[in-house]
Amino acid sequence: MSIAISDIKTQELYSPDISEIIAIKRFTEKEKWFEIRLPEGRSLGHQPGQFVQVSLFGAGEAPISVTSSPTKEGSFELCVREVGMLTKIFHNLKVGSTIGIRGPYGKGFDVESFKGKDILIIGGGIGIVPLRSLINYVIDNRKDYGRLIILYGAKTPDELLYPDDLKLWDKSNDIEYHITVDQGTPEWKGNTGVITTLIPGLDLDLPNTITAVVGPPIMYKFVLMSLKTKRIPDKNIYLSLERRMKCGVGKCGHCQINHSYICQDGPVYHYPELKHLQEAI
Amino acid sequence: MKKYQLNKKQLPSFIDHLKKQGTVFAPHKKGDASYSFAKVVESDSVILEYNRTLNSIKKYFLPPRELLLSYSRKDNSYKKGTIGKEKKIFLGVHSYDMKAVLKLDYNFTEGNPEENYLLRRRNSSFIGVSFIPDEFHFSQSVGMPVHDTDGFDIYLEKNDDGYTVKIITEKGEKLIKEFNGLCDALDISSNHIQFQNKLKYNYNRLPEVFEQSWNAEVWEEVAKRCVGCGTCNLVCPTCYCFDVEDNMDLSLQNGTRDRSWDGCMLNDFAAVAGGENFRKSLADRQRHRIFRKFRYITYITGEPWCVGCGRCTAYCTAGISIVDIVNQLCDEYEQKYLNRPVEQSGLNLEGL
Repeated sequence: MSIAISDIKTQELYSPDISEIIAIKRFTEKEKWFEIRLPEGRSLGHQPGQFVQVSLFGAGEAPISVTSSPTKEGSFELCVREVGMLTKIFHNLKVGSTIGIRGPYGKGFDVESFKGKDILIIGGGIGIVPLRSLINYVIDNRKDYGRLIILYGAKTPDELLYPDDLKLWDKSNDIEYHITVDQGTPEWKGNTGVITTLIPGLDLDLPNTITAVVGPPIMYKFVLMSLKTKRIPDKNIYLSLERRMKCGVGKCGHCQINHSYICQDGPVYHYPELKHLQEAI
Repeated sequence: MKKYQLNKKQLPSFIDHLKKQGTVFAPHKKGDASYSFAKVVESDSVILEYNRTLNSIKKYFLPPRELLLSYSRKDNSYKKGTIGKEKKIFLGVHSYDMKAVLKLDYNFTEGNPEENYLLRRRNSSFIGVSFIPDEFHFSQSVGMPVHDTDGFDIYLEKNDDGYTVKIITEKGEKLIKEFNGLCDALDISSNHIQFQNKLKYNYNRLPEVFEQSWNAEVWEEVAKRCVGCGTCNLVCPTCYCFDVEDNMDLSLQNGTRDRSWDGCMLNDFAAVAGGENFRKSLADRQRHRIFRKFRYITYITGEPWCVGCGRCTAYCTAGISIVDIVNQLCDEYEQKYLNRPVEQSGLNLEGL
């Protein structure tokens, strides 16, 4: 193998765009929502499911899923769980603070190929974050898609994100919305149980339903089993994987599973591509 | 191909001639028994007869530590690190280390061609030198004969009086222009260097072995001895994984974003915030390391990504041999999937 390296146009890969935080909301004890404006209000140009590398000088960089739909212009949104130093510093930022943004990176949901199909969303915990981008995209292009079914599960009612969106989804006649929590509270009136308990009761047009699943690693095994029982064909399933990432551009090696770099070929995968990759699920 | 003879006593003046054309990097003695590539200051300190250098020339294109950005937290501004565009001449490179550079070229250009790597890599010339394989080399077994000149501009083949100088490229031709220390090539045929084939299977049969090796017993066996120090990653000429980290100065206002070599054998290589570690056990990490050399990139490019330099074995702090691992995989494969021993593959040395 020999590559004519002098003919290749190089790319400046590691320079973030300094962007401004224009709004912040606290959702839970651990999660906050941020609205970000790129320089000159440029649009991020992402697909639902893609991520950005958030850069906080002094703390480093981390991959964070975009939670707004590409149909939203002038700004984009992130929802961040505080799990380490970088996310803690992020949480302490105020409106008007600046952060670095690289991306969007990876492959998102192939919304073009989903056209005309029913969309079944299955989100566990902060898995709902990238899925909300897809949900809002479908809502904003409602006539292009069939039924929109949302299954959302969290550990407790306190951990549910997007209170405004949840009300909207609940009220909408056009969205079939099911929610559950692993452990209820005395005030909780909804379903109790893991997210897979919502699947058997669904009435689906099987060949015409695309399923988008995002959740913690442990969730995939069980959701995939339930979908199999439900006879949803593998080719109609898409899911998104989380891994350590340092570069976001297919170089640093951290996110590799088999021959696939998640930051390039994922984070959203068509399930048949992933099924035979050991270490994936 | 043009050929000349470079007599031993002319070597320092040849190096002086090269130094006029760029910065020359060549092997030097390091301590009692090791060698290391370093910038040539004194031409007569260069050593062209060596078994292997501690690190390959990878360190010049992907430095062990490199400044990506320097930033100020006052106004959240930054500037990129600068990369020199000096002309570099690498003298005394073994064929496997050259092949490793060509493989890194693929890794750093595929998908998103990386500026940092490419700016360093451009303006480089390579002068290879022949070597006598020792007990750790097995590059022939992964398809790279000693005299493989792929990637070199000039190749020096050792003979009794000095070196046969083979001019491979136009760039090589320019490097020797106006150097009058070369004589006519001696009438000798290419040195046939005996290379013991160390891998049980020919490298082009390894993909079928690796296809069945995910659950092999050898991973747990190796993990019993491996201490997860990452030395194998550090010395491997085709390992290119890196970490990126911000470092603040004492003012806590300014700092640098640096990248440094990382290794998939280290415990937190695949760990994410929140506590999940996707490759917790040493057995998983050893498998990942070996699969990266023989299966993952191989699946896409058709080439093994191990160049047979023997460094990971020679420098392993726990005495683990990559050749033994691969051969044990071949054995397990035979026992489980073929139920019959396969004849030792005989590589045709003449044809290579």
